[in-house]
Amino acid sequence: MDPETFRRDLGAWLDDNANDLTPPYEGIGSMDAHMAHYSHVKRALFDSGFGRYGWPESVGGLGGSPLLRAIIGEEINFRDLADPNAWTMIEVLAPTVIDFAPPELSARLVPPFLRGDEMWCQGFSEPDAGSDLASLSCRAAETDGGWVVNGQKIWTSFIEYSQRCVLLVRTGQPESAHRGITALLVDIDSPGISYSPIETMHGRRDFAEVHFDDVFVPSDRLLGEVNGGWRVAMDILPYERSTTFWHRGALLHRRFSDLVAQVSAAGNRGDAAAKALGQAFQWIVAFRSRSRDTQHQLAAGEQLGVETSVDKILITSAEQQLFETARDLLPGVMEFDDDLAAALWRNDYLYSKAATIYGGTAEIQRNIVARRLLDLGPES
Amino acid sequence: MSQFIDADDLALLASSFEAAMADAPGPSEADQAMYDLGWAELLASAPGQGTATAFSALGATGSAASLLDDVVANALGAETALESCCVFPAPHKADAPGHLHGDTVIVDGMLSARAEAAVTAVLGVGTENGVGHFAVDAGLLYGPAVNGIDPGRAYRRVVVEIPAGALEPTASEGSWESAVAGARVALAHQLLGGARWMLGEARQHAIDRAQFGRPVASFQAIRHKLADSLVQIEGAASVAGACLHDSDPMLAALAKSLAGQAARTTATHAQQVLAGIGFTAEHRFHLWLKRMLVVDTLFGSASSIPVEIGQHLLSEGTAPRLIQL
Repeated sequence: MDPETFRRDLGAWLDDNANDLTPPYEGIGSMDAHMAHYSHVKRALFDSGFGRYGWPESVGGLGGSPLLRAIIGEEINFRDLADPNAWTMIEVLAPTVIDFAPPELSARLVPPFLRGDEMWCQGFSEPDAGSDLASLSCRAAETDGGWVVNGQKIWTSFIEYSQRCVLLVRTGQPESAHRGITALLVDIDSPGISYSPIETMHGRRDFAEVHFDDVFVPSDRLLGEVNGGWRVAMDILPYERSTTFWHRGALLHRRFSDLVAQVSAAGNRGDAAAKALGQAFQWIVAFRSRSRDTQHQLAAGEQLGVETSVDKILITSAEQQLFETARDLLPGVMEFDDDLAAALWRNDYLYSKAATIYGGTAEIQRNIVARRLLDLGPES
Repeated sequence: MSQFIDADDLALLASSFEAAMADAPGPSEADQAMYDLGWAELLASAPGQGTATAFSALGATGSAASLLDDVVANALGAETALESCCVFPAPHKADAPGHLHGDTVIVDGMLSARAEAAVTAVLGVGTENGVGHFAVDAGLLYGPAVNGIDPGRAYRRVVVEIPAGALEPTASEGSWESAVAGARVALAHQLLGGARWMLGEARQHAIDRAQFGRPVASFQAIRHKLADSLVQIEGAASVAGACLHDSDPMLAALAKSLAGQAARTTATHAQQVLAGIGFTAEHRFHLWLKRMLVVDTLFGSASSIPVEIGQHLLSEGTAPRLIQL
């Protein structure tokens, strides 16, 4: 199916089902309410067929270009129909699991994820392994028929709603760095897994600290090869930075349009306001254009690599500039008001501060651009 | 009907354009060399790709060639010729440089080096019925030279009053809006070509220059400045490239503004990384810096275009969804 027809048909279907798909929660909505509605929308899309396009038939999809998935997330985000962060998880995790899991495993486990019956999470970061991910120490020891995992993970989003976790563990010597890491697909209900939520500064329980205490993982849950987990982790990055960035770009576009509407309605037509809006908009469009190029490379089967750090820097800069502009042009609103619009600006403003930290910090991205794209040689 | 040029042919064109402009001693020789290479025919048959290729080369070589006259004339449907120049809007502006007041046309705009020897000039004039464009005797516009900041003197201001009777109607059909959009995309490519040159100079200097016993390129403060420059250049270049398939005037405006911002950022960072040598007249950096400052002001700048776009958005009360998959 060509992208233009798909967008048109999907748009008509979303319009026809607007009543059913619009979030029922009043105000910002609890995490529970967001996750319940996310599952509902995902299931409706799957059952209609739209949600199966862009995924291989081997995991319950209907095939077609990954551009179709980019379009679905774009339309969902433009219409604000589902929690944007929940929506990204499948785009981040499923393509890599399809690439690296044994085919019978992905054929069994991915379809419920696709249909919104399941949620998955990502166990990468550790308290002592943030930017320096390759130093992770959560350990998997080989045992009869599998591994025993002991250690700790942090910043694990959605674990309390999840059935599975893509987990990076140390299988080599402690000093083996990226050469001694293995990726496993772990069931969250395995005995020995416990977690405690971390409350963020924007007042949500977005993620958790996770403890693994003698957790048994059967050998058929290996993703890729033993000590080949770094390849799995690196395979995730291009997906994270193509489709999910495109989706988030749509969200930023919608929020920018909200800002224009509010500033315009407030009668602030001064050149200073106009300039700030124009400057915020140009970087949103620059990101969107860059991301479009990246989407087309992915769809053409090209191997995406370090150049996606450019996309990452562009979107995080655009996001922070947008919400700083909102704070300036809606004076006092996010600081002092308590209506829904103010609560949303406050939420998004505070959340935007994480954008230059998660998924590889702003500094790590610039290190990559300097080393790999500008070929500046080693750092001192 | 626009023809499509494949990547290999474009690369060949780019290198012959760069060589021709780099070798030309002055703007008129550069213009002549570009015409000899078929620039005018290319502009007529493949304006998008031709403009992108020629203006990237213009920016990379630091040439003062007056190719913008051809881009604007072509968009307006006027004749492109070495004897013909165009009047561009006043610095930081994009509205027509001529304004009709009774029997007088007040001209407040810019001319390129082409105007010095040109016979006729194309002048956009704002009237009650929108912008019309006319042919004018170029001698009426060309006054004494003002040096300004750019030693290559690619552009100069023109502020004169001429009699309305001097305007000769033309049969051309292009709109002023399309000329503005075409000029903005062209200038975006020039700014980005120049920014890439500046980044390249700074990068090489950072690798070659050793302090504290190691290349200064090894210091994170320097690496991040150059990385930020590249990111802005690539973001702007993507939008300029998107204009090839999308003639939305807002996208062209954004391309010019983004390219101007990328060039400003890159110039600032490159200046700092080039340090002492970059402040001397001996290093060529200042030539690109000064040209960038001039080109940034043409057809709206990275300062003025955001205001124009923001005002448009505020009057619409919403933001259009530009760029589709």
